Amino acid sequence: MTKKTSTSLFDFKTMNNATRITLLMGVVAFIFGISGLYTRLFIGEREVGYGSYVVWGLWVAMYLFLAGIATGSYMLATLEYIFNVSIFKGTGKAALWAGLVTMPAALATIGMDLGRMERIIKVYLRPNFSSLLAQMVWGYTLFLLIVVVTLWLAFKHKEGQPTNAFFKLILWIGFFMSIFLSGGVGALLGVNASRPYWTVGLLSVQFPIFAFASGVSLMLIIIGWFMHFKDEEQRYHLFRWLGWVAIALSLSKIYILWAYLSQAWYTQIPDVMTALNEILFGRYWFSFWVIQIAIGTIIPLVLHMIPKLAHNGTWAGLIGLMVLVGFAAARTNIVFPAMTVEMLDGLPTAFFGPHLDINYTPSNLEWSVTSGVIGAAILAFVLGAEILAVFNKPKMEVK
Amino acid sequence: MSNPNEASLPPTGMILDKYASEAFAGLVAPALDGVNISAAPANGPLAKEDTLVRMQKDMKRALEKPVSERRWVMVIDLRKCVGCAACTIACVAENKLPPGVVYRPVVNQEVGTYPNVTMKFLPRPCMQCDVPPCVPVCPVSATYKDENGIVVIDYEQCIGCRACIVACPYGARTFDFGYTYTETTPVAEGLVIGRTGAESYERAASFEYSEEWPRTDLRASPVGNARKCHFCLHRLNEGMLPACVTTCIGRATYFGDANDPDSLVSELIARPNVIRLKEELGTQPRVYYVV
Ligand code: SF4
Ligand code: SF4
Repeated sequence: MTKKTSTSLFDFKTMNNATRITLLMGVVAFIFGISGLYTRLFIGEREVGYGSYVVWGLWVAMYLFLAGIATGSYMLATLEYIFNVSIFKGTGKAALWAGLVTMPAALATIGMDLGRMERIIKVYLRPNFSSLLAQMVWGYTLFLLIVVVTLWLAFKHKEGQPTNAFFKLILWIGFFMSIFLSGGVGALLGVNASRPYWTVGLLSVQFPIFAFASGVSLMLIIIGWFMHFKDEEQRYHLFRWLGWVAIALSLSKIYILWAYLSQAWYTQIPDVMTALNEILFGRYWFSFWVIQIAIGTIIPLVLHMIPKLAHNGTWAGLIGLMVLVGFAAARTNIVFPAMTVEMLDGLPTAFFGPHLDINYTPSNLEWSVTSGVIGAAILAFVLGAEILAVFNKPKMEVK
Repeated sequence: MSNPNEASLPPTGMILDKYASEAFAGLVAPALDGVNISAAPANGPLAKEDTLVRMQKDMKRALEKPVSERRWVMVIDLRKCVGCAACTIACVAENKLPPGVVYRPVVNQEVGTYPNVTMKFLPRPCMQCDVPPCVPVCPVSATYKDENGIVVIDYEQCIGCRACIVACPYGARTFDFGYTYTETTPVAEGLVIGRTGAESYERAASFEYSEEWPRTDLRASPVGNARKCHFCLHRLNEGMLPACVTTCIGRATYFGDANDPDSLVSELIARPNVIRLKEELGTQPRVYYVV
């Protein structure tokens, strides 16, 4: 009887349940997003909830979130290729692939936010580099190229052999870019003296830390749900290592949040207090206390401390997912409340019209587009990973 | 004694000077039957030139100078503003602003507690900051300070990222989402104000930045762009005062060249009871408020 290697790109039979469920969720999210994507691309932007007073909404927050995952994943990949951390052997390609998928998703969400999307080319042709936004567009585009080159070199790289000089150079460039760019998106907000809530110190410095934490959380999902290891010991050690890092990051996250919010509170600056009240007790309390703090920080922290759960693939992935959801909420809690402040007392009621509202809740269109982009990213990630075999899946042999 | 200003007054000035005063005198006349009285001295040393006339003259002088030597400023006397929003509407009409876009709202604030309550009105155009935070944040240099010192937007260059709206500390920019007022009005056949009539007016070109911006295609600029007050630059170029200035019923808004020591605005901003909004941010606004 002859044995031959399976030639189909995706072998659903050999996929584990987590992969199938993730694919299903990706399909559902994408289907929910189709109408939104169609409306935004072919009809326009009128159905959004943001406007001239709450200027940036869900899409900008998701850009910060997805860009954070992309840069964080790159930082994780350097652990295998630059810092030679042995337990990370074999995970670098998956991390890079995650970065390569989330980066275009991030750019797509910010692209949806542009009133004249088709003119994005102008940022390349006639950039104003004193603008943080222009710096970010250029920076992230270059970063995307770096991720592509890194991934290509990672595939050429033979396991067990030392990383060659060119590969190392690219990795170092990418590593520094991932730190500066993740901080840059914080600065994009922090440079606006018009929004005192953002100018509280610590805003931009927390972004690279949060980006790394996002990368760690995504890695927990990848290792817990998708990766295959020849040696299950490695998975166990990775859970332990990532678990400790995640605990340290959660604690520093709480510390930074405390420092940020308590300083802001202490100043009692009216514009800062308005934003703070919205977060702690107002419109965004649920997103802050329940999603960001409880689901995104405290519960994962407790679960990490229970070895039985923290070292179980399904649970580790769930913990990672919870932290990521918490980060998504954290980004919205940075972007939205700062904009609910009246620039001049009484301005929002001085003139009435569409999109002249200080109260912001993302509209169905915004949710739909976000869902579509994230759904597409999930599908691209899982299916692409299967094609590129970045999950180290053993080749299926059929009789 | 003859009015010393009379010789220099143009016909409009003379008419305003004479009849505005007489009309007002007519209102109080019945109560003062038989008493020879005039509300304002049409003749005599206290006779005043209408501010609009004075500003037109100031403007004429300014336009004779090279562009870079003019310093356009606006002064708003908050003690005189009655909160009628005529300026807001004049601006909407002049620039054909669609729903959701406003260049000069009048902010109403209630001050004090009963029984000592009063209303405060704050017209808020773009401040045309000399250090404008909205300019450096623009990724494509679509917004900049032009040679007149007015902060302008190049609609064809703007990508609609709204970074400038975020950066403006005065909320002076709004985004054009592509609405029209007439889209929800009923079609009233045969009436001048039916949708068809009103729509053709609404979709006719506006002349911002001395170019034509028809609203026939809702996918064309300035839809999808940030928009703001530009001191009616297109009118200034033709020697006309901004629409809000000429429409102000309280004569509370003044405009002119602050580099001309003889201009009305130069006189006004040299007084101690003049403020600028959010001075602490270092934006150096060109809009002054008399308080
Ligand atoms: S008021 Fe706002 S829009 Fe106008 S120049 Fe200043 S910062 Fe720019
Ligand atoms: S909205 Fe237009 S003018 Fe404003 S920053 Fe963006 S590109 Fe520049």
